[in-house]
Amino acid sequence: MVIDLDKCTGCGACMVSCMSENNVPFKEDESDKKLSITWMRVYKLTNGKSFPEAEIVYLPRPCQHCGGIGDHGHSPCVSVCPATATDYGYDTGIVSQIYTRCFGCRYCMGACPYHARHFNWWDPKWPEGMENYLSPNVSPRMRGVVEKCSFCYHRYQLAREQAIVEDREIEEKEYQTACTTACPAGAIVFGDLNNPAHKVHQIVKPDPHPDPMNHKVVGKSRNPKVFRLLERLGTNPKVYYMSDREWVRKAGDNYLKGEWENVKTHHGASSSHG
Amino acid sequence: MLDDALIPEGAKRCAFPIFIIGIIIVGAVLLWGVYAMFLCWFKGLNQTNMNDYYGFALWIWADLAVIAVGGGAFFTGLLKYIFKVDDLKNIINFAVIIGFICYSSALLILAIDIGQPLRGWFIFWHANVHSMLTEVAYCLSCYFAVLTIEFIPNILENRQVNKVPFFHHLAHNMHEVMAVFAATGAFLSFFHQGSLGGVAGVMFGRPFAYREGLLIWPWTFFLFTWSAAAFGPCFTLMVTKITEIITGKKLVGDKTVNLLAKISGWMITTYIIAKIIDTVYWAFVTVPSMGFELGHFYSNNGFYGYWILITEVILCGVVPGLLLINKSTRENPTTRTIAIILGVIGVCLNRWVMVLQIMAVPVMSFDSWALYIPSWQEVATTILPVAYGIILIAVAYRYLPVFPQELELNEPADAAAQN
Amino acid sequence: MKIDRRSFLGLGLGAAAGVALSPVGVKLTDDSSIWTQNWPWTPVPEDGKITYDRSVCSLCPGACGISVKKINGRPVKIEGLDDYPINNGGACPHGISGLQYLYDPARIKTPLKKNGNKFEKISWDEAISLVAQKLGEIRKSGTPESLGLITGADSGSMAQLFERFMDAFGSPNTYNMPSLESNLALTAAALHGADRNLGFDLDHSDFILSFGAAIIEGWGSPVACIQANASRRERKAKLVQVDYRLSNTANAADKIIAVKPGTEADLALGICAVLLAKNLIAGDVNTSAFAAMLAKEYTPEKVEAITGVKAADMEALAMEFIKAKAPVAVPGKGRGDVGQSLREFAAVQALNALADRLNKKGGVFVMYPADYLSFSENVMDDAAKQGASKAKLAGSVNELVDKLEKDGGLSALFIYNANPCYALNNPEKVKVAMDKVGFKVSFSSFMDETALRSDVVLPASIFLERLEDVVSGGGLAKTVVGLCRPMVKPIFDTKHPGDALILLAQAMGDSIAQSFSWNSYDACLEQVTGKIWDTLSGDGYVVIDDKPPVGTPATDFTFLASAPKAAVPMGEGDYTLVPVDKMRLAVGSMISSPFAVKIISDKVLSGKYSVVEINPATAGILKDGDIAVLKTAMGKALVKIGFNEGIMPGVIGMPRGLGHAFNNPYVAGKGVNVNDLIGPVIEPGSGLDAAFGIKATLSKA
Repeated sequence: MVIDLDKCTGCGACMVSCMSENNVPFKEDESDKKLSITWMRVYKLTNGKSFPEAEIVYLPRPCQHCGGIGDHGHSPCVSVCPATATDYGYDTGIVSQIYTRCFGCRYCMGACPYHARHFNWWDPKWPEGMENYLSPNVSPRMRGVVEKCSFCYHRYQLAREQAIVEDREIEEKEYQTACTTACPAGAIVFGDLNNPAHKVHQIVKPDPHPDPMNHKVVGKSRNPKVFRLLERLGTNPKVYYMSDREWVRKAGDNYLKGEWENVKTHHGASSSHG
Repeated sequence: MLDDALIPEGAKRCAFPIFIIGIIIVGAVLLWGVYAMFLCWFKGLNQTNMNDYYGFALWIWADLAVIAVGGGAFFTGLLKYIFKVDDLKNIINFAVIIGFICYSSALLILAIDIGQPLRGWFIFWHANVHSMLTEVAYCLSCYFAVLTIEFIPNILENRQVNKVPFFHHLAHNMHEVMAVFAATGAFLSFFHQGSLGGVAGVMFGRPFAYREGLLIWPWTFFLFTWSAAAFGPCFTLMVTKITEIITGKKLVGDKTVNLLAKISGWMITTYIIAKIIDTVYWAFVTVPSMGFELGHFYSNNGFYGYWILITEVILCGVVPGLLLINKSTRENPTTRTIAIILGVIGVCLNRWVMVLQIMAVPVMSFDSWALYIPSWQEVATTILPVAYGIILIAVAYRYLPVFPQELELNEPADAAAQN
Repeated sequence: MKIDRRSFLGLGLGAAAGVALSPVGVKLTDDSSIWTQNWPWTPVPEDGKITYDRSVCSLCPGACGISVKKINGRPVKIEGLDDYPINNGGACPHGISGLQYLYDPARIKTPLKKNGNKFEKISWDEAISLVAQKLGEIRKSGTPESLGLITGADSGSMAQLFERFMDAFGSPNTYNMPSLESNLALTAAALHGADRNLGFDLDHSDFILSFGAAIIEGWGSPVACIQANASRRERKAKLVQVDYRLSNTANAADKIIAVKPGTEADLALGICAVLLAKNLIAGDVNTSAFAAMLAKEYTPEKVEAITGVKAADMEALAMEFIKAKAPVAVPGKGRGDVGQSLREFAAVQALNALADRLNKKGGVFVMYPADYLSFSENVMDDAAKQGASKAKLAGSVNELVDKLEKDGGLSALFIYNANPCYALNNPEKVKVAMDKVGFKVSFSSFMDETALRSDVVLPASIFLERLEDVVSGGGLAKTVVGLCRPMVKPIFDTKHPGDALILLAQAMGDSIAQSFSWNSYDACLEQVTGKIWDTLSGDGYVVIDDKPPVGTPATDFTFLASAPKAAVPMGEGDYTLVPVDKMRLAVGSMISSPFAVKIISDKVLSGKYSVVEINPATAGILKDGDIAVLKTAMGKALVKIGFNEGIMPGVIGMPRGLGHAFNNPYVAGKGVNVNDLIGPVIEPGSGLDAAFGIKATLSKA
């Protein structure tokens, strides 16, 4: 996935679409965001300057579906789950979450630096009658388990079933996440990062080799405007971000004093295959 | 007295009604904790002040701390049965009881802490071999079984129980093979104490917690085992001291106490050196490679400052180590007690830092510090095992021959009381 | 058999070993894992066949096409409709959460009658005859003009049906709630002629000068505007935002022109003055009185003093505007509905006129209303003719409130698609005014503040349960009529408001019944959309027009030449309190859904407190996160302080859309209604409430 932060308006349509698609519950008081389940969460960042030089950017953050160090499938959360309730799919790169396996130890939540994982501190309850809009494609959860963005895996399953029946590949437009289709600004682009025909690949141009400056990192974007959150930790997320603005790109990671100037022009290497 | 028949031969115990009153008072605290426990089980974890930033909070700290201080059991056992430090036989029973309490407390707290307790067994059946917590669960459970086995002979030595020939022989035979269990216990403890450190150290998404290490084991793995072995005996000695104060008797001889204190002192000192080296490497090599300066973890928030690092390492690490390796301060009851208390605080502080500070520190550059205060339900359920421990120690002390030196150390006083 | 300890022990150990090795353990653990997957209170949504149905969302004037995913006919998801010409597949958080409105148990489920302080349920028959009877009495008394209507519907068949009823009944007293649409219509009427409206061709403009319009935060047709902004980079189009705070639109803009709040019109007039002075006006536009006024009152120095924009900056901006290939100036602070003045809208439109942007691609279209409805002649008896020709009680809804509060004047009131007891400034006064009306009928779907004060509620089905024409508006440059189609049968005992109106008219009998001789609203719609019905029902929409209108309309600058005065914030205080429109917070008659309330930032709503934005430089002793008392001439409220570097010092920004006071813990009882703190300032001539803000004080609570 790649999200154009210069197009994002912070409207929150992605957040609502995700909640509606995935049967996410809601409580009477959702103002404590640390207790509010939003698989997709839009953060608001600022450049730290004063009026009128102040600038903001909205940053939608779904689960990053990390590939872990070296992109071998050892996502920070997958490696630590004691019951294999979360697993890395080597075919899709998607980190799954099985609610009926999870017993709620919350280790994965501690391991995730993106706070992409949410816990059901309460039993999800819908006002009388509202259960009618729940979708059968996504299991409603019980309390005491962790949930997170699944890249709308049920949509992948539906598209894949159709493709199998028709004996062909899934087309790019057949599997799109709810947040992608909702975004009125078209800021989110979703598809197969490894497929050169897909838009997301063409924008991101990920470098499949380990980054010579940091061997933990694989898939660094060759596009100078594209970056990933906390890339240098080696989480190797599937979610890329894009911005014309330097301060936004810098905010994606942590840098020591003066370090940014040295690394800001370092991008994925051009293909060594000519 | 009502329960004379149960009291060890020749020992003096307070009047039964006084004992019962004490149990009731502590029992009330325990019941408060039980009530909170049922609230959590039936209403869910919203009864706590945990949130999505604080998935690990007071309970996990309590777990880690109680297991760390319970390390006195395995370490004393290792010393006594494998390294044949015979003097420790005077404290080994009590260390086992303390260990038993600590580990059963940990299991109880875990049963309350997980979101779906009825699925807790998934950690065994659907184990993920890569997860440190899996290792913890298995070894902790096995070790608890070991502790139970180590505790049983002491129970069988109750005056009445021991009259049954079967039990008498069972106890005797178990004592004979105790070395096997001690070795097993030490082996298991090495791994689960370490794995608890591994829980923090493998989190490469959390620079405050992450450590490099040896093969799959981050340095925190070894530091946790070491600190449990080092500070566990402090806790054993501290609880012994408290028990002596409450019972008004000397229960363990100075020779044993000083020996254990000396061993603990050397363990603490060597541990703290390793800890300092690890901290320096982490601060000046590991975290800068992840883009952080040390100050990031200790500033811009309302609680965590350098004070916590200095308190943990210097005040509650270097100081108790030095106090206990130095003969005069070790053998002086006041300074020894101060050292022991500082030591216990130190290991608890280390566990706090390695659970709660990790959760508090923001990692994404635009994220903010999160702070947390436990709810009363969390506090009550954390005090629950303390109350349970007090009751169990009280009952064990009253009815079991826990302290081999009890009679010999208190003869004159008892004799005087009789006269 | 002798049971001694040994054998007892042996028996016990044997039993334990036996149980451990038996299936009991396995069965229990397996069972427990199944129990924990099937807690009886965890819903299991029914599976079934997936179908997609299409409709048009009418929650806001945006009129976006929506696609509704259904499982066995049960709607489960709303998304934007890909091939719909207004939103091209995009959607906003409110439209997507439409299903929450559909199934909300807080909906009014049956007709209600007020009995003392409580509502009692009545049947539709009872309700219709009760209303018909009351209205009949009014007619008999010879004062049909004492029936009033406050409506939020500006266009479409429902608006015309209500108008038809008022005519047939004999009352001229129809009042529209302020909306961007009505403000633009007022502007077009003042400058170009009655019965026109304005549309802004943002998609093709290469230089958008927005005077505080929240273009990416809900202005106009929100999704269409967001898309126009998103394509700017590729189209190399510039956005300049005139604003007093770093709104999201200002942030997205290429440049921000910081002005003091309420001085946007002055800047627009200043730019007009610059263009006139530099002789950059093309075409023959009669501007003499206007030009003279501008030259005198809007010199760069005077404008600088008023707005805070440096003279040189304003001149540079004027040059940039006129030199662009296809510039357009956009009026309407925030969403452009309330707190606006004709002066401001006219000033911005004057700039468009002077720069020759009328009916040009990428400019502003002076449009005729979509003329796709043809109703048969209304049947009006003498009483109706007489009553309908009387003068209206007031010129605008705000003036109506004034009049009613002072002298009364209406004996009955219909409220449709409107929530004046919340959405107008000084709601307390609105409530007093409404209480002076003897008989109030609400058509609301939810028990909002206004419905709570009504005497009878004829609950309307919501848009997902209705067939209806939804025509674009709100500043959109194209005219599209969409067909909103029912996705389900009404969940509760509600009716299409059109059906309710038809039943009511027929119950009243005589000429009114004759004017409403349809069997149902659906039949009516098919009839009145005659020419386009086939396309409308087949394709789901008809594009009436999407090209610039032919010819350049004349512009009458008389209103502006008269140098109308700016509204001055009432009261006293160190700060100016200004309401802020937020994309995630619905305003007007729409109440935010639980999902929308959930995504409100904790810097906007914190616990139960509205968070007000102030610049740290002017916070005084107040700190970020403090609870403070915000006091204005209209009242006071407890708020939380939120530091915001992006707001002009001396200004307090307070979110609009909070502070609902009715019984729904998910969406009401949170924060403060900013309208409670601001009193209307009626603009002479237009009747608009031009209060963009009010003076305020802040003190620690």
